[in-house]
Amino acid sequence: MEQSGTSSLLQGAVQDLASAVVSALRSGDHTRAAAPERAHAEAEDLALAAVRVLGADALLPSTLLHTPPLPDELAVFRKAVEAYPPGADAAPTVRWSHWAMRNALRRLDPGHADAPHQEPDAAWLESATWQLLTHQLAVLAALALPGEDCAVTRAARQRPVDVARGFVRAVRRRDWRQAAGAGRWLTLLEGVPQTLGLDNGLDFVELMGGQDPLVALHVSAARLTRTGAFV
Amino acid sequence: MTDTRLIHNVGVGALEWLWAHRDGFELEPDVDPEIGFLERFKPIGELAMICKVLFREGVAGSRQAQLARQLLDHAWRETLDGGRMLVRGQLTEPISPIPFEVYLPFKELGYSQPEVERAAVLNHRIDSWAAFEATPTRRLGLSAFQRRFGLPPRPPESEVRGTTWLARTPEPWTVEGHIAYDVTHNVFHLTDWGERPDGLPPATADYLATWLPVWIDDWLDLERWDLLGELLVVDACLPRPTLDERAWEGFAAAQQPDGAMPALRTMPEGTPDEVFDIVYHPTLVAAYASVLATSRSLSLLAPAS
Repeated sequence: MEQSGTSSLLQGAVQDLASAVVSALRSGDHTRAAAPERAHAEAEDLALAAVRVLGADALLPSTLLHTPPLPDELAVFRKAVEAYPPGADAAPTVRWSHWAMRNALRRLDPGHADAPHQEPDAAWLESATWQLLTHQLAVLAALALPGEDCAVTRAARQRPVDVARGFVRAVRRRDWRQAAGAGRWLTLLEGVPQTLGLDNGLDFVELMGGQDPLVALHVSAARLTRTGAFV
Repeated sequence: MTDTRLIHNVGVGALEWLWAHRDGFELEPDVDPEIGFLERFKPIGELAMICKVLFREGVAGSRQAQLARQLLDHAWRETLDGGRMLVRGQLTEPISPIPFEVYLPFKELGYSQPEVERAAVLNHRIDSWAAFEATPTRRLGLSAFQRRFGLPPRPPESEVRGTTWLARTPEPWTVEGHIAYDVTHNVFHLTDWGERPDGLPPATADYLATWLPVWIDDWLDLERWDLLGELLVVDACLPRPTLDERAWEGFAAAQQPDGAMPALRTMPEGTPDEVFDIVYHPTLVAAYASVLATSRSLSLLAPAS
């Protein structure tokens, strides 16, 4: 289907940002793409929207590699958090992804005076089928961080077999983004069935779908988590 | 868990269709040798096997049991000409295991043809028969059939089992259609077509309990009813069957008013013979899955004390 102009522009911006995050994860460098060209208001809007779409993962290199973000990077991220608050009727994934951004900001910006904020509700995950659970967790893969403790990570920790099933389902359906997101969660969970073959599975997802920067981002994050490089 | 009546009704419809289309199970004695006379034996063996399961499980209604008996009699007397067609098949291809495989369920149900038995005993001694190149799962099935016939399996099942895909419990995300059929048949052989669920080694049962729900979910959405039916049989062979409601409802909804089960998505178009050749197998599988799942569903209602 033909994409509308704005939406394909945004998708392009998200892909560029994700690519920058991937190369920063691989090199340990900063995410230059997060800083928009100030000369163009439109470009700035687009960059903000892209940061909002990618969510807390826009600062993933700083989070996983413990390198403080550049002031520019941080400023754009903060602006995106403020510019796109979830609406009153926002879906739980939207609320949680915004929560994850505020959480990242609080963690990475010492000058930021935001108090710990209340977690959104996660009851919808507890009653979700394994198919829906995995889909929603994959959408919220930015929360799949070592040491993260929130209602979403607790829900995931309680259902490792279900998430593993969801990973298999996503691979079977060639849904590489979902598979990569689920794989990223699985690297953090205990009780994942050995027979899943997660390491080979992540390589397989990367081989089949890694040309998509969003897939590459989750696989890279999963690898860093897996090897414990961030600790 | 799924309503037992819904599961049961799938089998009722399937058997009605099989009875109404019993002439489709005919052999082709004058077939081109390039195609092979034995080509059309397999459906008859499958029919007998599934009727046997139906008697064994004892959950069929009286109409169903009567149809199954009539189908078996028809297949033995008319289609196989009292077993003489099996002899003819064996004479045509002396080393083929097919006449023996078709014969075994009939023998277990009380039918007899001494010449086929003599061939089975002789073939069992012939090294070429044991060396016959087959996939590990098929070889496992042949050994299981020898055991059931009363012969020491060559090679022993324990030796073959470890060489199958399922026994190695590989990455579940690599499963595609062919592997999935190997998995289902492996389970049929290990459990003697659902008669001995404890024939599944614990590691295999655990592996299936973990991953079967994913495969069922997948082939349900792909509307591949033939394979889905076999996977539902496997579920019914597990220590704790799920009798998955969404899968059974989808499977039942795919069944036609006359009881036919399409193989893939919807009913095929073609002459009655062409349609029979495509849908007889999924319809047999539907009968099989229904009777095993009904039986397990009733057992779950009345747990052993």
